[in-house]
Amino acid sequence: MNRILIYLIFITPTVLFGQGKAIPINISIFNESTAIPFTRFVTTPIHPGLQLGTEFNYISKVHSRLFQTANLYYFYHNHLAQGIGLYTELGYEYCLKFGLAFQALLGVGYMHTFATADEFTFSNGHYEKKTDKGNARLFPSLSFDIGYYIKKSEKNSPEIFVRYQSWIEYPYSPDFIPVMTHISLHIGAKFFINKKMNNNE
Amino acid sequence: MNKIFYLILALFLLFSCKKSETIETTFYDCNFNFSDSSSTNPDNNKYQSLLDAITSSGVVGITMSVYHPHTGIWVGASGKSDLYNNVNMEPCNISRVGSTVKMFTATTILKLMEEGKLNLDDRISSYLQGDVINKIENADKATIRQLLQHSSGIYNYIQNLKFQTASLNDFIREWKPNDLLNYAYNQKAYFQPDEDVRYSNTGYVLLGLLIEKIEGKPFYKVFEEKLFIPLGLTMTKFAAEDHIPYGIVRGYIDMYSNLQVVESTYYSGWDYYTADGGLISNPYDMNVFFRALMNGQIINSNSLNQMLTWKAPKEPDPSFFPISYGLGIFKIETDKGIAYLHSGDAVGYYANMLYFPSDSTTIVYAVNSNYGKIDQFVSTKEAVEKIINETKE
Repeated sequence: MNRILIYLIFITPTVLFGQGKAIPINISIFNESTAIPFTRFVTTPIHPGLQLGTEFNYISKVHSRLFQTANLYYFYHNHLAQGIGLYTELGYEYCLKFGLAFQALLGVGYMHTFATADEFTFSNGHYEKKTDKGNARLFPSLSFDIGYYIKKSEKNSPEIFVRYQSWIEYPYSPDFIPVMTHISLHIGAKFFINKKMNNNE
Repeated sequence: MNKIFYLILALFLLFSCKKSETIETTFYDCNFNFSDSSSTNPDNNKYQSLLDAITSSGVVGITMSVYHPHTGIWVGASGKSDLYNNVNMEPCNISRVGSTVKMFTATTILKLMEEGKLNLDDRISSYLQGDVINKIENADKATIRQLLQHSSGIYNYIQNLKFQTASLNDFIREWKPNDLLNYAYNQKAYFQPDEDVRYSNTGYVLLGLLIEKIEGKPFYKVFEEKLFIPLGLTMTKFAAEDHIPYGIVRGYIDMYSNLQVVESTYYSGWDYYTADGGLISNPYDMNVFFRALMNGQIINSNSLNQMLTWKAPKEPDPSFFPISYGLGIFKIETDKGIAYLHSGDAVGYYANMLYFPSDSTTIVYAVNSNYGKIDQFVSTKEAVEKIINETKE
């Protein structure tokens, strides 16, 4: 299952929308929190996360572009859960002349969460400590970010960005808390790595 | 791509999950002596079977006390007080009993009234000033009685989704009264005072501040002086004094409604310092308190009559018993007759105490697990009915 997801999210876009010699890599660290989206920005305590991803342009104009991302992430929310997930986003970017860029991204993906403490499972009339197999979650997201292209004049300029991501964890706790809302505040960078090309390319 | 996976995996393993505490079983020993005739109680087997049925359905552990005038008090327990260290629950064990403290808060207010220090129909704004009055709608005109009876219309901070997500975001945070009241600031009141009744923790946070203003000391110190010590409630304390007191059973939450629980003993910091929760006790002490209150041993008959003056909500909850609100107490209509009660939740804990005025039967139970699927076994109408039917004659 996971292999299929990885193929769909990472490999398929590469085949369909391959962009020549340089592949963009997005890397960010983020602070995850349970919160009502757009009511909080910086939250404490810090629940750290790391995200790696790439992106592929559908349409690219002088000041704007429509693109798709593919991301892999992990976060650790102390005392609540740790999650690992794969998701993709449809993004729109508008870039000003001097390199400042604004993005809006709508995403969907899969997340698997695990407990951060020993979990006891009820079985045969009593509780026993068992290996946590985790919980499957749908992961829709809506993000806005502000970035800055360091070498705007270059096609493959590196970028630094701050991203405010709101997302939903569903299902959460059936008949108790149907969905859980989260926010993640990312600080990250985009850079390009060169792809090894065949001689006849 | 493999490198990415190894990096993620390394992070995952780095944090992984925390191991539970190893706790000596002696931690749960009770220094608690009373004349225990439970084993010779004619209903001993029936009560014990009830508790065993509850724990075999998915509740981690339960303690219970049942008082009948002709057989005295029975205490029992079933399940575990600590899953990781495999410790059995004992009848004397203490746990968090959450909002049941509201009956203690109301009783203390009524005692202050008897001492001539306040009048129930005084406005709370006569005693408290500042943001707690100015930023909470209805707080300027609500009376002490209305706060006690949940008829002030003041917004319940616990209902604020921002509070709920914030408390999940920092499970071990210790919240002070103003931290909690902040979530009631600038929120629309449910109704004008006295128009209806609707449960509000905010009102009881204000009542705790009122006790402190009048007595010049923490409200839980006043509880000690006026209630715990005079009644000999040696196993009863307030969380502000000691968040995790010696002997407290571990709490567990079924966060995802799948009967897979994690420990939550340290997660109730939102009620350590406010008079809407935070009580720690055992069913024996709570049974003693409830009967003493109803027998007129704590407050006089005039005060008790005021406490037991009822108001019914305009829109009753169809999923629960028909209910009326008194001052820090509720009245429900059951198949076995009228019962007075107050229940309480903390994170990983639930307790309920019931008193039947027809024959003084008093039932108190406390469990060390809640949320998700577990609630259906302890706090729903069906669960309470089952307990009443097995314990009330």
